[in-house]
Order: sequence, then C-alpha cells, then structure tokens
Amino acid sequence: MENKDEEDLKTLQLRFVGKIIAGFTHEIKNYLAIIKESSGLIGDMIKMGKLSEKDIPEYLDIIQSIEDQIGKAIEHFTHLNRFSHRMDTQISSFNLNECMEELIALLNRFARQEKIVLETDFQQDLPPVKSNPSMLQLLVFSFLEKKIAGLEKNGRITVRTGTVDNAVAVKITPEGTFAEGDGDAGTTTGKIRENFIKQLGGNISQGAAKETVITLPVHGV
Amino acid sequence: MKQKDIKVLVVDDEVAFANTLAQRLKMRDMEVGTAYDGEQALSKLREKTPDVIILDLKMPGMHGMDVLKEIKRGYPHIQVILLTGHGTDRDEEEARRLGGFDFLNKPADIDYLECKIRKAFQEKLERTM
Repeated sequence: MENKDEEDLKTLQLRFVGKIIAGFTHEIKNYLAIIKESSGLIGDMIKMGKLSEKDIPEYLDIIQSIEDQIGKAIEHFTHLNRFSHRMDTQISSFNLNECMEELIALLNRFARQEKIVLETDFQQDLPPVKSNPSMLQLLVFSFLEKKIAGLEKNGRITVRTGTVDNAVAVKITPEGTFAEGDGDAGTTTGKIRENFIKQLGGNISQGAAKETVITLPVHGV
Repeated sequence: MKQKDIKVLVVDDEVAFANTLAQRLKMRDMEVGTAYDGEQALSKLREKTPDVIILDLKMPGMHGMDVLKEIKRGYPHIQVILLTGHGTDRDEEEARRLGGFDFLNKPADIDYLECKIRKAFQEKLERTM
C-alpha cells in the first residue's frame, strides 16, 4: 500500500513538472514565433521600399511589439527559474504571494486552453512564511488541476491569499458549472494531500461550491 | 493565375501572431482575414468562404483538429494548412487523414508558407473544376 502511495505521489509530481514545462515551452515558442514574424514584416517593408518618414511610426509599432514579446518571455523565464530553485532547499522563508504568482503564471496557459480564467487576489501585507514552498505549490496545483478539469468552459478560478489568526491562507474559489461526476474526496490524490498538509503543519478545508482553503502556520513546520 | 485571387483565413489564438502573419500575406497580394479561435473561424466561414485556411492546432476551447473536421464536413473544397508549434507525428497523421492539405511547424518560413498556400489554392481549383 505504501508503495502504491509513493507511486501515486511520483505520478503527481511528474504530471506537475510536465504541465509546467509544456506550458512554458509553448508560451516561449509563441513569443519567438511573433518575434520572427515581426522582424520578417520589417524586412518585407524595407524590400517594398517603404522607407519614407511617414512609415516610421509603423516601424516603431513593430519594434515595440517585438520588445513586448521579449519582455513577456523574460518574465516567463524568471518564473520558471524561481520555480526550479525553490526545490534547492526543502524548508525556506518565502513570500506566499510570489510563490503563488509564479505558480499561476506557469499554469495559466493550461487553464486558458480549457477556457478557464485563472485570477489572483493577494493580500499585500503578508508576513514571510517558513515552510516548504515546493510542496505547497504541488498541493495547490493538485486542487487547481482538479477544478480546471471539472469546470465547464468559461469558468473562473480565483486564487486568494490572506491571513487567518496566526496563519496564512490560500483560498481557491471556482465559479462556473462543474461537469457531472467531479469530486475531490476519496481519491488517492486526497490521501497525498492529507500527507502534505500534515507535513506542512497546516489545514485544508472545503467550503461551499467546491471552494478550498489551505492554511499554513507562519512559523512553519 | 494571380495570387490576388487567393482568399486566406488565418486562425490562431495568438492575436499578435495572427495579425502579423496576415499583414505579411497581404503584402504578398492575398486577401487575408483573421479569426482568434475555432468557433470564430467557423462563424466567419458562414459569412465568407476562403480558399485556404491556415489553422493552429492548440487553441482555447475548440481544438484545431475539431475545427478541421467541421470545415471538411461543411466546406470540403476549402484547403486547410495546419500551422502549429506543438504538433506530433500522430497529429500530422490525423490531420492528413481528416483531409488537411499540409502540416507545417510554426514559425514557418514565409516564402515556404506562401508556396504551400499557392499549391493548396491550385488543388482547390482543380477539385472544383
């Protein structure tokens, strides 16, 4: 039975990392494709002899578009880099908002493909948390994955952060219609989650309408 | 045969990509429209039928393969070129089975894409003659 749990955990971890890498490479490839077409367009315009002063604004617009794509790509690289380095040490002091922002940015494409809007609403004055950020990200992913799969198109999921007594909280609130048969309870993933939250010294509660609240002690495990 | 006669619809959820590619094809004397998801593409077909569709595969909502099926069901003469950054061999096989004209990796060289569009248009003309 223990082996089965370990196997399920490994499957979840691999699925998580796989999703993150697939989404990341997809986004980067798209930015590069836009940059390639934009620079190609500049080449086309030069070859066509569009070289008078009145053409300058059009050139500047295209250059701006290239800069925008490069900016987005750099932001994405930063998120992936931080995400990877979180695994360097198991327990660390971290900013919960940054940890969640990075996760949401890396999973956004995955939600968008299902026509689900992934939103954040963060409390700004949160204390730093001493805990295992990678484990927390995997835990939040396990809920997001389930809710994204369960929601019908045009749904919305809001990830909020805040404080509850002496703990910080991540609240995941889905809005929309759930397809029949969706449920979080009783699955092996549920067992993995229980194990995680035990290790993190926190708590998971399910609210109405499939809302999930994860609380973590500020001073950690 | 003048390329000007070719009507193209570019379907891609990356708005900046679709618009820039459309602009480049227009500069090559084609009449080009854009749609940013599968549903929008199918609804545009009801207004105006293009000769060739450049279709992305992975889009939010309706998957490109389902869009291809719908196009081929309702408008069998339209030639569809799949242009995707993430297609597998199996996707290519499936797209060809469903009647896709060609399967290209994104980003494609513009001259190569132009050549494929011209070939697809010729194929359409031959089939409808």
